[in-house]
Amino acid sequence: MKRFLTTTAMVMGLAPAAMADDGDIVIGFATAQSGWVQAYDAPATAAARIRIDEINAAGGLLGRQISWIESDTKSDQAQAASSGLQLIDEGADMLIVSCDYDFGAPAALAAESAGLNSFFLCAEDIKAGIQGVGPNSFSASVLAAVQGATMAEWSTAERDVQTGYVLLDTTIEYNKGICDGFEWMFPKAGGEIVGSDTFLNGDASIASQITRIKSLEEEPDAIMLCSYIPGAASAVRQIRAAGINSVILNGSAVDGSYWLDAAPDLSNFIVPVQGSIYGDDTRPAVNEFRDAFEAATGAGPSSTYVYPGYLLIDLWAKAVERAGTVEASAVTAELEKMTDEPTTFGPRSFSDEIHHQNSAEMQIIEITNGTPGVIGSWTISEPVPLDVLLQ
Amino acid sequence: MNAIPQLFFDAMSLGGIYAMAALGIALIFGVMNLVNFAHGEYIAFCVFALIVPSTDAVAVLFLGKAPALLLIPILLALGAAIAVASEFVVFRHMRKATPVAMMISSFALGFVIQNSLLLIYGSRPKAISLWPDLNKPVSVIGASVPLLQIIVILATLVVVVALALLLKKTKIGLEMRAAAENFTMARLLGVRANVVITGAFALSGALAAAVAMIMVTQTGVADIRMGGQIMLVAFIATVIGGLGSLPGAVAAGFLIGAASVILQAFLPLDARPFRDAFLYTFVIVILLVRPQGLFAAHSAKPRV
Repeated sequence: MKRFLTTTAMVMGLAPAAMADDGDIVIGFATAQSGWVQAYDAPATAAARIRIDEINAAGGLLGRQISWIESDTKSDQAQAASSGLQLIDEGADMLIVSCDYDFGAPAALAAESAGLNSFFLCAEDIKAGIQGVGPNSFSASVLAAVQGATMAEWSTAERDVQTGYVLLDTTIEYNKGICDGFEWMFPKAGGEIVGSDTFLNGDASIASQITRIKSLEEEPDAIMLCSYIPGAASAVRQIRAAGINSVILNGSAVDGSYWLDAAPDLSNFIVPVQGSIYGDDTRPAVNEFRDAFEAATGAGPSSTYVYPGYLLIDLWAKAVERAGTVEASAVTAELEKMTDEPTTFGPRSFSDEIHHQNSAEMQIIEITNGTPGVIGSWTISEPVPLDVLLQ
Repeated sequence: MNAIPQLFFDAMSLGGIYAMAALGIALIFGVMNLVNFAHGEYIAFCVFALIVPSTDAVAVLFLGKAPALLLIPILLALGAAIAVASEFVVFRHMRKATPVAMMISSFALGFVIQNSLLLIYGSRPKAISLWPDLNKPVSVIGASVPLLQIIVILATLVVVVALALLLKKTKIGLEMRAAAENFTMARLLGVRANVVITGAFALSGALAAAVAMIMVTQTGVADIRMGGQIMLVAFIATVIGGLGSLPGAVAAGFLIGAASVILQAFLPLDARPFRDAFLYTFVIVILLVRPQGLFAAHSAKPRV
């Protein structure tokens, strides 16, 4: 039956790239290989495979080789659920699911009910873990609220920002997470929020939002823009064109230089990331991995969201090694024991409450005259508490 | 800053974009009873035509490099061409099909165009810097207005007047109006159906191209899904304007744009994320009061 399934899968073009031997540990990738989510999933998946190859080259995991199987979710939530089930039927020992919570959750839930571990490629919403999927689900990325809180604390300390304006794109949960983190930390760090507004990512124009900012008595020192590309690029183009020169603070989702033509000669624009893609990270190991990624895939990372793919395999494999098995509850227990576990991208911790990073060292990228570069790094002075994350 | 003129310009410019998109849909509905859901994809197609076809993350300008005097007619022609081509390939074969079948096939056509763009350009949104200087604000009666907003408002007015003249003063316009009134009778009286329909598609496609240029200048981005939202608003505008009525589509486009801007300006912060819910409630109320739309065409009643 298994052979039949494998043959059918091959005929359907869903063939596992490395045929699984019986003795192999099998990782299932229920990620988007087509459709609009593919732009986010594919690079992180490539990074995950680099770590798998490294582990295999070093003798494997628990003395066994790791092989992987995949199924295309086609950027479709219903298809994600069946991709998850299909990979479980094909014998996956753990599942890696789409970057975004909404698109990864159906496959992660399938893994959870089959008693397997699941890792989101780069989800930054607390729900992508215990709170939304179940006790065996994790994400290797840094929570959105940490990005917002980092912006709040860094800007008040390093840029003497005193007044902030919050501009929230209400399209997805991730954006709300950034603004929640900012609104929690900014007053604590001594700043004052002088106004807030909302928009939608696909809005043809944000003219009335800009009118509201311009009718403030004084231009705010900083605008916290909680959005993602393309809506964020469009908002920045319109904000700058209107002559508003406040520092624009962002979440990691706007990382990458590919969209900068949308806002010519952009300056005073800050992005917090877990690792720089420009080869100027303050930690040499990140730059080495960046180059290794470029050598392996033929192109440098297009955004920081490549890195959690590598990180998640790294952390999961360490936990498997310590547990001596791939059985989910034992691996989860080992992952939850990790406190400041050293990795290429800085220390990582999990607990039995949070399967995410609620504090992390972030690289601060500033765009000046359209050129991005690292200007330092920042770790928030206290982790974002659970009640802020669950807002 | 003066609040009322500012609100007026914000509302008129957003309404102008919606009105132009709605006009493109109403034109085709008028002559062949088809709600063309591929219209949003024509807009996306025209935007992507500005850049070199490639799946690379960084977009390189292609048509977008041309000077405005050349670019505008080329892009309008390209929009007209894809609309006429889709009529020729798809809708011409469905002349006797029911409106529902045609509507479904327009959805299918939209998927084909969107997925072709996905295949050629990749799924990552691209940046396009077209005429960035047009976003610089100028001062008009106490309001700070980006030049583009004024251009949008003027362009919409010009398009509406030109279309009205075309429909009232030219032979093809007369034929279009006759076809919209009673297509079978018009054909019996010698109206050339293919010419009228092709003409309507060409105009509709050119309007999509105009919307595309405005959108890309305003937002600076190209995204394969960018036509969807505007298509939805435009379709709703044609419905509340009265299906088949061109002045109705324009008026309703402006109305929706204005309502959206006013809601954004005056709703309390907690309610602002639900702006569109309020907007569409307002649409439902209009349709409850006037189910045939605000400016229903005489011909619309027996058809819908």
